[in-house]
Amino acid sequence: MTVATRFKSGRTGPGDAYVSDHSGSPHARFMRLTSYALAPLGALSAWWILGLAGKPLEGVRAEIGRPIPALVLLAFGVVGMIHARRGMDDIIEDYVHDKALKAQAIVANTWASRAIAAIWVLAILLIAAPK
Amino acid sequence: MADADTDRLAARRPLSPHLTIFKPILTMMMSVAHRITGAGLYVGMALLALFLLGAAVGGGAYSAVSWIGSGFIGNLVVLMVVWAIFHHLLGGVRHALWDRGLYMDAKGRELLAQGTLVGGILLTLLVYIFKTLAS
Repeated sequence: MTVATRFKSGRTGPGDAYVSDHSGSPHARFMRLTSYALAPLGALSAWWILGLAGKPLEGVRAEIGRPIPALVLLAFGVVGMIHARRGMDDIIEDYVHDKALKAQAIVANTWASRAIAAIWVLAILLIAAPK
Repeated sequence: MADADTDRLAARRPLSPHLTIFKPILTMMMSVAHRITGAGLYVGMALLALFLLGAAVGGGAYSAVSWIGSGFIGNLVVLMVVWAIFHHLLGGVRHALWDRGLYMDAKGRELLAQGTLVGGILLTLLVYIFKTLAS
């Protein structure tokens, strides 16, 4: 159930003490929901990511080329970067105080996180997709 | 309220004393570490994405990015990413427990902070050992 308030900034008002109509609660819920998916995906991915270290090219391809690691790493990259984007938004909002710079940083983060996810997906598909 | 008024009020409001004045306690350090590992994973995923793309393309592209996954720096990058995943994961579990009102007393939150720190290192070591034995 959602409760709408009449206040834009929502700090105080008659009968509405300290409520907010900003995006804090959905944000927190979003981070938690994605983290439930990321916990198993992350633990499994850590296993296969560690397996990449020090391997020659063929070894790396063989590791990523198997279907289960490929699918898990794929999902980890996509859900992870969605989660990471929101997390980085938090960091930017906390530390970048200049309004214009903050807006630019948020946009840069949006596109950087999408680019990382896209490269991640493309790379795994190139290695693992059936030829 | 107009934006200018909000800005003026915000400028007059005292800032939090923040890190320079608080006594460094473990729960605070683990909160900071949660954020650092999160930001680190952002960078780590970017590096690994490039590494995987290089591996997918092969040839010169792979030689250009192989430093991310092999050699001293590569091993360090991969190990740090794995540790950051486990540390951040356990930090998330801690938050999930707190969300449910569990482990919020002084003893409980100290235990969770220690668990995050030790658990992250332990899980990394365990995976490293098992992986080394498996290969």
